[in-house]
Amino acid sequence: MAAAAQTTGVSAPTFTDIDRQVRRVLEPGGLQFWAWICFCAFFICVAGALWTNQVYSGLGVTGLTQPTMWAIYITDFVFWVGIAHSGTLISAILFLFRTRWRTAVYRAAETMTVFAVLTAGLFPIIHLGRPWFFYWLAPYPNQRSLQPDFRSPLVWDFFAISTYLTISSLFLFMGLMPDVANARDAARGWRKTFYSLLSMGWQGTDRQWRNFSMAYLLLAGFAAPLVISVHSVVSWDFAMTQVPGWHSTIFAPYFVAGAIFSGVAMVLTLLIPMRKIMGLEELITPWHLDNLAKVILLTSLIISYSYVCESFIVWYSQDAFELMTFHQRYFGPQGYLFWMMVACNCVIPLLLFSPRVRISTAWLFIIALFVNVGMWLERFVIIEGSLATNTEPSQWRFYHPSVTEIFITVGSFAWFLMLFSLFARFMPIISMTELKEGIQWLREALRDNYRRAA
Amino acid sequence: MSEVRLVASFADEERCVHTIERLREAQVRPQVFSPIPSEKIIDALYERPSFVRSWVLAGGIFGALSGFALTLGTSYEWNLNAGGKPIASIPAYLIIVFELMILCGGIAGVAGFFFTSRMPVTEPLAGYNAHFSADRFGLVVSCDEAESARLEALLKEGGADEVTREPV
Repeated sequence: MAAAAQTTGVSAPTFTDIDRQVRRVLEPGGLQFWAWICFCAFFICVAGALWTNQVYSGLGVTGLTQPTMWAIYITDFVFWVGIAHSGTLISAILFLFRTRWRTAVYRAAETMTVFAVLTAGLFPIIHLGRPWFFYWLAPYPNQRSLQPDFRSPLVWDFFAISTYLTISSLFLFMGLMPDVANARDAARGWRKTFYSLLSMGWQGTDRQWRNFSMAYLLLAGFAAPLVISVHSVVSWDFAMTQVPGWHSTIFAPYFVAGAIFSGVAMVLTLLIPMRKIMGLEELITPWHLDNLAKVILLTSLIISYSYVCESFIVWYSQDAFELMTFHQRYFGPQGYLFWMMVACNCVIPLLLFSPRVRISTAWLFIIALFVNVGMWLERFVIIEGSLATNTEPSQWRFYHPSVTEIFITVGSFAWFLMLFSLFARFMPIISMTELKEGIQWLREALRDNYRRAA
Repeated sequence: MSEVRLVASFADEERCVHTIERLREAQVRPQVFSPIPSEKIIDALYERPSFVRSWVLAGGIFGALSGFALTLGTSYEWNLNAGGKPIASIPAYLIIVFELMILCGGIAGVAGFFFTSRMPVTEPLAGYNAHFSADRFGLVVSCDEAESARLEALLKEGGADEVTREPV
């Protein structure tokens, strides 16, 4: 490998090398790519059919019963919003800190953000018995003598998620413009027209760069507090209620840390196969993966601390209802879900203390998958477990998902992966501009990589 | 006297910046094309920061005021007594105000970028070529025919790989 680096000069990539590698991904996809898209589309169709049946038959086709009226759909909603957050962390917050390793991975993370929010936004609507009335949540003049209650966390959520989707999409679009212009200049046929429209006539003039840099910086500055506010608001959907297991002041930071934890794991889950399939190993190096792994490790420790802290607060309060809810959470009929969650979120990520594990793509991929599972379980345990064991023991009833809910959840993953795959095939999934801007860091990473491999 | 356009191509940012500084000393304002954002180029050409920040400030203030107007206006218009809480619950409304401030500030920033950058553009600008979005820095200078030889020499001395001459 080291010899190959010397002969090809790949350890010192130039602007042209970066362009060539990223543009190569934009070439028409083969049969395997379209087979993958059809595979995803199949599950989306199944989920769509089941949802149509749910709309027709009513929510009775789900496993929702009193007292557990929020379960998998709201778990999915919180999970996907959480996934979105690390994208903004990597693209906006690390941009403000001028973190070197973000350049190769931020576009994929930001794309993940937009598609994850789009996926999350489906679930409150899917969860409605009469989804055609979803717009009642929006504040607009009407003749029903009804207005949204701005004191309700659900209305805050509407504003937070809408704002987050808009700002994330604008941030992605702005960052894409110079790269799409680059792709436009090398494209032909319908692609040239497509990229020309999307680049809005970007030509990299001094005037454009001057205004772009300011707008991008300020958008990043807005996105940074936004990302913290959005998941805090999501956590308040729970924490503002009196439900035991939800009513806690720790929820906002706990949810934000969890969101970053799960999101970075999802970035790795997407990046590792993508760099292999698309041949991007020279641009997304073990150095980038190593740094992402360190973020997972840090947030895993924060999450573990939050679990301990949450339990301590319950013990210290000596509130009978809280104590019983947590007892059920740890040792009740669904206690195994809690301990699986602890294993996935607190124990398995500790492997990342080993530098060897952090640069092994196989290990990283497996750990990232475990974290994804663990974080989905965390939301399920909090949402379903707390409702199932509420303040009225005579009402206690544990929830079991129906086939409809399971396949709609699977369909949401298929929808997300399909959107991401199509984007990665048709748009520059790595920011050529930012990689070139920090080309010396990429060279250092590659040299370090080859030195280690040798 | 006829005008000509000189288009110089640089492989290196440093040489490009150095040449811009020399052109500025000669009272010539070049048009610059760059494949990456370069603070050095911006600093060599502009003394003030972009006006986009004023757009963002205006958008943010508008969004925050809209947030107050929406929440307070709605509350007093409907006057719902929810469990004895105040009709206008400012702390709860601050979340809506914050979100609208970010939303409007962000949209204003992007709108400001397009307006101040005179985009969208449908035609390539004079002197633009595909290398300037990929791997080359470009300097475009419009000047009189008589002055062109001096400026061409200055561009070449600055380290331009290639200088082409186009009629205006």
